[in-house]
Amino acid sequence: MSVTDLRKVFEVPVREAGLAASIKSLVHREHRDVVAVEDVTFSIAPGEIVGFLGPNGAGKTTTLKMLSGLLHPSDGTARVLGHEPWKRERDYLRRMTLLMGNRNQLQWDLPALDSFELTRAIYRLPEAMFTAQRDELIELLELGPLVNKPVRNLSLGERMKAEIANSLLHRPEILFLDEPTLGLDVTMQRRIRAFLADYNRRYGASIMLTTHYMADVEALCERVIVIHHGSLLFDGPLSVLSQQFAGHKTLVVTLDEPADLSNYGEVIESSATRTTLRIARDQTASVTARLLSELPVRDLTVEDPPIDDVIELAFASVKPA
Amino acid sequence: MSPPQREFDTRTDRHLLGGLRIAWLHLRIGVMNELQYRANFVIQLIQSLVAISTGLVVLALIFDRTDQLGGWTRPELLVVMGVFTLVGGLIGFVVEPNMGRVMGDIERGTFDYVLTKPVDSQLLSSLREFRIWRLTDAVVGLAVMIWGLAELKADFDAGEVAGFVITLAAGMLLIYCLWLVLTAGAFWVVRMDMVQELFTGLYRAGQYPVTVYPVWLRLMLTYLVPLGFAITVPSESLTGRLTLTRLVITVAFMVVAFTATRWFWRLGTRRYSGASA
Repeated sequence: MSVTDLRKVFEVPVREAGLAASIKSLVHREHRDVVAVEDVTFSIAPGEIVGFLGPNGAGKTTTLKMLSGLLHPSDGTARVLGHEPWKRERDYLRRMTLLMGNRNQLQWDLPALDSFELTRAIYRLPEAMFTAQRDELIELLELGPLVNKPVRNLSLGERMKAEIANSLLHRPEILFLDEPTLGLDVTMQRRIRAFLADYNRRYGASIMLTTHYMADVEALCERVIVIHHGSLLFDGPLSVLSQQFAGHKTLVVTLDEPADLSNYGEVIESSATRTTLRIARDQTASVTARLLSELPVRDLTVEDPPIDDVIELAFASVKPA
Repeated sequence: MSPPQREFDTRTDRHLLGGLRIAWLHLRIGVMNELQYRANFVIQLIQSLVAISTGLVVLALIFDRTDQLGGWTRPELLVVMGVFTLVGGLIGFVVEPNMGRVMGDIERGTFDYVLTKPVDSQLLSSLREFRIWRLTDAVVGLAVMIWGLAELKADFDAGEVAGFVITLAAGMLLIYCLWLVLTAGAFWVVRMDMVQELFTGLYRAGQYPVTVYPVWLRLMLTYLVPLGFAITVPSESLTGRLTLTRLVITVAFMVVAFTATRWFWRLGTRRYSGASA
């Protein structure tokens, strides 16, 4: 999948508040161009899992919609599996899937199994392939007897698992997942993550996912693409992201007796014997050495700052458009 | 890694067949869904009977004063009322629920899932929802129609029955086209909730043959809101009024309208950009 200079501009009507303005807009409607995605370029290799990050309104969903064929870009090109997505050729649609965590497509009043049958007809899956894939997904997602219960009786997490199974019955080679773990509890998030990693290994499918949970990113994505105000901010390994945007590390020191560590670095948190310090990345080694030689250290850990903080720093590094 | 093994059926001539198979599965799902709510059947039946009774009372009042209405006798108008109720039932069974679903999907953004499927989006979204209980109207209408025919003591040949079936099918398709065009309007303006009320209001006019109305209204009820084609023309076939010319016009108009509608739908889906975009 390769994307070059992808750009999407929406024309949105503008009008001022108030009745007079409303009436005026009936006759003469003014439009304003809003750039949702600005010259985004990247490529994803088969079998890669890429986390697609950015704050709300950054252009993540718009990009996913262009790549899954729902939106025409205003400019730029994209080739996915040899197709131009927005032509919506049947061959392309059969080989990819789009799943949105906040929008369901299973039949609400019926067991998921009935919806699966429908999916089978839509993708014209041969009986044998369908049955094998369905049973495998049911097993991997630990759905078991849940597929026989009306969807309305399932919990949010169970329903999400059934939705995932439904959107993978045709064994897509590319998965566009928009917030697949939205609103789920930690255990369920973890289970879905494990499943996605497994699916990726089994079939070599590429996965592009957006999420607000950094645990998803840390567990699944070796590579992240960060966009902000529609523009590409970062594309690379997760570890490089923190190097690039966070010039510091976090040091957690446990001492035998209380001591003041403020001359070693910035104290973020401190209890009786346990202190958390923020220190410049390039001083990590020297500060650690000094601490160990000068104080009765019982335990010491060096950590990259939490990924949430890194992302926040990355966003803060660019001025709003 | 080699791409996974897949053996899809991609022959073009099978697309319609595949689409109909999907429609059949949706129908099954619709039946399963509605069987859970049996009370709806009773309510629907009462509604159908009340509606048809009101119609019959009005008809009786009219024929208290006159022997005919615009050249139609009482039993002939019974046939029209039967066809009116039958067509209304069929619209309620398949057209209205599907169009309502499309509007809902566009508003909620779930229409995305229609467009990302490897099937014709118009076919998929036109045959997804079925309200089987609305067929009670169709059955009641059919009964009234047969009652009217019995009173007429009409002896009709196979040609007239075929004419009825053909014009009824063409008329239904025309009504579907109108709904679809109005529904596709939601691609531009998002909210089109009033379509249903608007149509229900206009539909009542089809209770009588459109020939009883003044010319301007007759033309409107034929070419704009195709009640003339869907109700009056099939009734004409059963009462020995249908000419070959009119049959040809009906079918030709249907083909033109259907083609135009399809084009409009394509235009609309291209315009669609997702509710949250």
